Amino acid sequence: MKMRPDMDKKVQETLESLDGIQRAEPQPFFYTRVIGRLQRNDKTVWETMSSFISRPVVVFAGLFVILLVNAFMVLRQDATTTNTGLTADQTEQLVTDNEYVLATNSSFDYENIDRP
Amino acid sequence: MDERILVEQLKQGDESAFKTIVETWQNMVYNTALGIVQNAEDAEDIAQETFVQVYQSIGSFKGESKFSTWLYRITIAKALDHERRKKRKKRFGFVRSLFGEDSEVVVNPPDFNHPGVVLDKKEKAATLFKTIAELPENQRIAFTLHKVDGLSYQEVAEVMDTTVSSVESLMHRAKTNLKKKLEDYYKDRE
Repeated sequence: MKMRPDMDKKVQETLESLDGIQRAEPQPFFYTRVIGRLQRNDKTVWETMSSFISRPVVVFAGLFVILLVNAFMVLRQDATTTNTGLTADQTEQLVTDNEYVLATNSSFDYENIDRP
Repeated sequence: MDERILVEQLKQGDESAFKTIVETWQNMVYNTALGIVQNAEDAEDIAQETFVQVYQSIGSFKGESKFSTWLYRITIAKALDHERRKKRKKRFGFVRSLFGEDSEVVVNPPDFNHPGVVLDKKEKAATLFKTIAELPENQRIAFTLHKVDGLSYQEVAEVMDTTVSSVESLMHRAKTNLKKKLEDYYKDRE
């Protein structure tokens, strides 16, 4: 579709409005401000280390390692746990035996251990 | 002074070389940043960041391209990064305001007036800058570098690390898009 001549003129003038544009300049004493910024950017070892540790990548990597170590320890423990091999009857017997042990050790027994 | 000598001196930690570099290229860097972000304070901030980056990473400049090309690339990267951060902040502020939190909602900035535009063209240039901001990133950078910074197509191609024909194509698409957007803009105002 053809543009109306007045509209075309307006658009063309707008497109040409940057012809002959001059370069913009920053405020005076720009170099001083750059140096100030550079000095602010000078970090101590602790600041560098803390900013490194607080990075999301480092945080998530750390969490992942901790979870991995935990999972490894749990799996390892499961594999090494020895099976007692007791059946349900044997367990019941063991509990019953323990309940009928007459010997009870009180503080009196421990304090008078040498007496007959 | 020859830019290669300046770069070598800066690599050896010469502060006077850094001062010369800043004073030689500060207008170029500031003007490029201003053309992209269209805000004087942000452009100043980006220009400072650019020179800090130059000071810190001059060791990585191998001299494969011109020093000014390297400077343009850093400036553009910083300006685009700044814009993304600003957009993120704007979105986040809007979301927080939806939840009734007391946060500052970033309002749309007023029309941008470039200080280098001739007085009688200021209004039209402000309209054009508003429309340029709506262009896709590559078209916007090519158009700004050519029209605002006055770089030739060859120089734009070097900065954008592409071919001259690609820049020609980007410029053609940018102009077509701008024409269409400006036409819509003026129609809406009638």
